[in-house]
Amino acid sequence: MKKNKNKPLIRVFIVVMLFVFILLFIYSSLNLKNIDYGYRMHELILREKVLNEEVDKLKSQKASLLNLKRVEEIVKKRLNYQYPRSDQFIKIFESK
Amino acid sequence: MIKINKKERNRAFILFILFSIWVLFIVYKLVKIQVFDYTKYISKVKSQSNRIFSLHPKRGTIYDCNGDVLAISIKTKSAFLSNKDKEESMKIYRLLSKKISLTIGERRNIKKRINKNRKFIWIKRKLEDREYEKLKKIKNNLSSKSTLGFIDEYKRIYPQKDLASHALGGVGVDEQGLCGIEYSVDSLIRGKGGKVKVLIDARGKIFEIEYLKQPVAGKDIFLSIDSSIQFFVEKELKRTLEKFRAKKGSVIVMNSKDSSILAMASYPFYDPSRIKYTSQRVLKNTAVSFLYDPGSTFKIILASSALENGVCYPQQVFNCYNGIFHIKNRTIYDIHPYERLTFEKIIINSSNIGAARIGLRLGKEKYYRTLKNFGFGSKTGINLPAEEYGILNSLKRWTNISVAFLSFGYEIAVTPIQMVRAFNVIAAGGYLIKPNILKGVDGIVLPKVRKIKILSPSTVHIMTSIMIEVVKTGTGKQTKIEGIDIAGKTGTAKKLKNGRYEDYYVSSFGGFFPAQDPKITMFIVIDEPKGKYYGGEVAAPLFKRIAKRLLIYLNIFPELDKRNEIRI
Repeated sequence: MKKNKNKPLIRVFIVVMLFVFILLFIYSSLNLKNIDYGYRMHELILREKVLNEEVDKLKSQKASLLNLKRVEEIVKKRLNYQYPRSDQFIKIFESK
Repeated sequence: MIKINKKERNRAFILFILFSIWVLFIVYKLVKIQVFDYTKYISKVKSQSNRIFSLHPKRGTIYDCNGDVLAISIKTKSAFLSNKDKEESMKIYRLLSKKISLTIGERRNIKKRINKNRKFIWIKRKLEDREYEKLKKIKNNLSSKSTLGFIDEYKRIYPQKDLASHALGGVGVDEQGLCGIEYSVDSLIRGKGGKVKVLIDARGKIFEIEYLKQPVAGKDIFLSIDSSIQFFVEKELKRTLEKFRAKKGSVIVMNSKDSSILAMASYPFYDPSRIKYTSQRVLKNTAVSFLYDPGSTFKIILASSALENGVCYPQQVFNCYNGIFHIKNRTIYDIHPYERLTFEKIIINSSNIGAARIGLRLGKEKYYRTLKNFGFGSKTGINLPAEEYGILNSLKRWTNISVAFLSFGYEIAVTPIQMVRAFNVIAAGGYLIKPNILKGVDGIVLPKVRKIKILSPSTVHIMTSIMIEVVKTGTGKQTKIEGIDIAGKTGTAKKLKNGRYEDYYVSSFGGFFPAQDPKITMFIVIDEPKGKYYGGEVAAPLFKRIAKRLLIYLNIFPELDKRNEIRI
């Protein structure tokens, strides 16, 4: 008689405990995942920032290299080029 | 099947109960910590791992009309000393000072602050990359590493150095606009700082970010300036100013169709990144803030007014009194004496007496109305700071001879930007258009400015043909380019010094081309040239040199020899 009385109670108890365990497990794993995502997000934000800064630096370097005074100096002094005269231009008409 | 006896079952049951109590205890504790004592623990966590940082916005980039960078902000490091021990700080400073460039004043200031035992001392803000590398090495070798620190800061870079310096302006050490477009669009370009709250773990790594206030990056600005045009305009202007040992000068190149500024050069130039070492005199943008008597270039306004009001016609003849004309107690002279000249010849040969006679015929009310319509005496509204209003006396203050002197550009003060806008009225078919230097913000093209019609097509037509003749046969002959019609007008005006007109001159030339379908309007002002000083000799040749380059750059081909044409 005693045996029959305890059995369902224990089962219910086991189920409840299991449920609590599962809940705790899910809760803590979600939290851990959340924290992990936080780290990853911050890393990515930092990387994006560094890349953006790098892009800006490269843009500035490119613009400095394209500095017209510098370009003219190279073209004139190193390559010995001259500005074209207006009579050196040839006008090309496309006949319709 | 395993048989379990009663004793074993009881033991298992007790174990199970104990285990359950343990689990329930954990659950209880978790609930207590996370629900009942939540506020207590959250404040503890916050104090240990929460940090709030200010986020500095990046200042927007300035591009020219072709998308070339004119100004950009990049992140740099600034070095500071955390002064805990005077002796130690001084020792470190001596080490650092050998590795970085500092002015004498800056060195003196740092030493003074160390001796005064200030806790925070800037060593150098916005270090060069190689300077930072050197200082970083020094920091790594220091015994007290915390004494030397670095802070991230943005640094404004002007890759084209002194190109378009007056239009661009410059920024201060905290990236605030000080002058030029950097100042006038500061609120747009500066952006807004933000605040971020981060959670840091025991190792100092961030694992949670919460934006308390989102930072707003400064907007990118697109100017109407074309850096290639600006480059050769500046080069030619410098050449002319050096040749004539002039005090200063300015050239404004404008798109005739919409009054957008393609180049704005004011000499002497300066490097915007060295703005704190630049004098106020050099910083002044001559194009918008130089006030001068326009002289003969103003005859264009007079002639337009006379034609528009129907007071004169091109072939009308005026007595020019052989070069000397007395009016009240004043005398007006002509450099070349003329007995009689037609209306158009007065403008072509730039006769002051003839202009005064036209002015007197026109009358002060009508002339004043035209001057107001052309916008004299008020700012053009261009997006640049320190623009002058100019000086146009109210009609009540005009004397009986004011209209005569105003006819050839005296008793009035104008700025070069006002003059280029006035010349562009004729080039734009009679419309007054506000000059603009801002083309777009963040890739969005700004709407076109409103046009106000102030001259009729017939006036524009006559004025254009007169101005073409000025270049072909008149005072502006040195501007002539074979195969292309240029419309222009020269100007030479004495300067008012200490209340008297003295022998210091302002030479100017304004014009547009191709005259039949104007694409470019240009105005040149040269202040106090030495040797030659006539507009036709100083400013006109400069106009020609720039125009020649512009024609090539803009693919406007003069009607030249047919040998230079190929049909395919």
